[in-house]
Amino acid sequence: MSQNNNSIASVYFAIIGIAAVALGIADILVWSGISGGIDLGIMSISGDDFFRWAWGGLVVLFGGILILSGCSDIRYIQQFSKVLLGSIMIWVIAGCDIFAMICGGIPAPKDAPEFLNSFSGFLGYFMPPYAPAVILLPFTLAALYLYYRWGFAEKAEKD
Amino acid sequence: MEAAAGAEVPEMALSEESRWSLVDEISSQVIKNGHYTQKVRDIIGELTVKPLTGIPVAIGVMYAFWSIFSSFAGTLCTDGFFVKFFDKYFLPWIQSAWPDPGSILYFLFVGDPTADNCFEAFGVLTSGLFVAIGVVLPAVFIFYLMMALLEDSGYLPRLAVLVDTFLHKIGLHGYAIVPTILGLGCNVPAVTSTRILETRKQRFMMMTLIALFIPCGAQLGVMLEVIPESVGYVMLLLVIGYFVFGYILSRIIPGENPEILIDVPPYHMPQRSNILKKLGMRTKGFLVSAVPFVLFGVLIVNVLYLAGVIQWLSNALEPLFVTWFGLPKETAGPLVAAFLRKDLAVAQLSAIAMTKFQMITAVVLISIYFPCVATFVVMLKEGWKELLAAVLVLFVVALTYGGIIHAVGILLGVA
Repeated sequence: MSQNNNSIASVYFAIIGIAAVALGIADILVWSGISGGIDLGIMSISGDDFFRWAWGGLVVLFGGILILSGCSDIRYIQQFSKVLLGSIMIWVIAGCDIFAMICGGIPAPKDAPEFLNSFSGFLGYFMPPYAPAVILLPFTLAALYLYYRWGFAEKAEKD
Repeated sequence: MEAAAGAEVPEMALSEESRWSLVDEISSQVIKNGHYTQKVRDIIGELTVKPLTGIPVAIGVMYAFWSIFSSFAGTLCTDGFFVKFFDKYFLPWIQSAWPDPGSILYFLFVGDPTADNCFEAFGVLTSGLFVAIGVVLPAVFIFYLMMALLEDSGYLPRLAVLVDTFLHKIGLHGYAIVPTILGLGCNVPAVTSTRILETRKQRFMMMTLIALFIPCGAQLGVMLEVIPESVGYVMLLLVIGYFVFGYILSRIIPGENPEILIDVPPYHMPQRSNILKKLGMRTKGFLVSAVPFVLFGVLIVNVLYLAGVIQWLSNALEPLFVTWFGLPKETAGPLVAAFLRKDLAVAQLSAIAMTKFQMITAVVLISIYFPCVATFVVMLKEGWKELLAAVLVLFVVALTYGGIIHAVGILLGVA
């Protein structure tokens, strides 16, 4: 991998890390009531649910810190692993949010006589706004791309 | 090695040189030399064991565990399908099909004829079936699936290493995390799994702590349904109790607390056949050992209500509940009946007018004061002496901790 590619990846993940740290802190602040709800385009931070916003926000924050700690010299496997682990933590929260949308969308509404939701009703659960981790998810997938692009996956397969 | 002076060397014995040649020959056939290169998987494996990075990862894993648990068991299965099925279709059908709403059999099996949901009906075939099949089964299913994935991926041994330091403070070692987490699904397999601990002291302590401070999946499910805003406080009080009384028990009970020695395997993709086998075995075990007790428990509670035993016990224990625990006297009934059905006892509490603090205290007391009858039976299998000792500890802890919570509430001005 070239020095130039390495620098671009480092800067890219530094931005992702800073964003994750900021959004994780925002999750916790909104939950604690210090800050009001935040609505930014398709992103929304709201609610006083400890589990989702305080605990989940803490995991996003930790994920961001791990990404930041690994983003310098990202071409080295030790540093890259930290970035990948931080990204996995963000995927965990985003994955749980998406799984919750799927679970919420499958059954019909409470008062409806049928058991299964209509297709349009199901899709309605995936409409914006989204939580910060879901917004961060596609950007952090770059770590998976680099894992294969830089040959770390091939090395694992060979061994 | 030289032969002892004067001793004859047998003719067939190999010379030192020949022996080394043989060692070389064997080792060249069985040992493969290669160059070790660190892989991403290895580094991530190390990062998840080091406290600085491992604890945040553990917090994330636990979040995922409980998020998937509540989305699948709560949102999808219980609220999405089973509540509708039981309340809209099954309950009206059984209420109309079962003859004579004034009879004893109706009270025992269908419960309250005016109830409009299975949660409040309290019959064996209404509340009993609903809680066993509609609430506990999906919770236990997803819980065991997540446990199997954590075990087979190689994360659980790492979690054991990570929490070893904390658990050693209370006389246990890292593998105590397995029965502790299993207990959150069902206390029955958790008590059985205490056998992975090495000494009698550790097994007794773990069994007692499970019975005291680990609410089962059924109770958690009902708590999330009835008092969702207070579950965090209840869990916090139970975690505090787990460590405080664990520390005290560790100091009182004689015996050894050996160090942990775990082989930490590398991370790998879980095998579907293994997961399915584990899931099938554990779910079947739950269905066979716990569901009959759940249904039998409802029946016994209803019989005791009919015979006036619960009412008598409630009146007898009223001073203790009102003065010592700071709870309304009506809570005595559900708390006494909780021996048979902790989850239904939580549901019964929800119908009593209480402050938020009183509700939290009452739910914590339900958790700690006695194991459910199914756990009781499994504990008996582990030895009647241990069971008697555990019961004694349970009563002392319940009285002490309940009083302490009340006292702290008075000091904070919330009791």
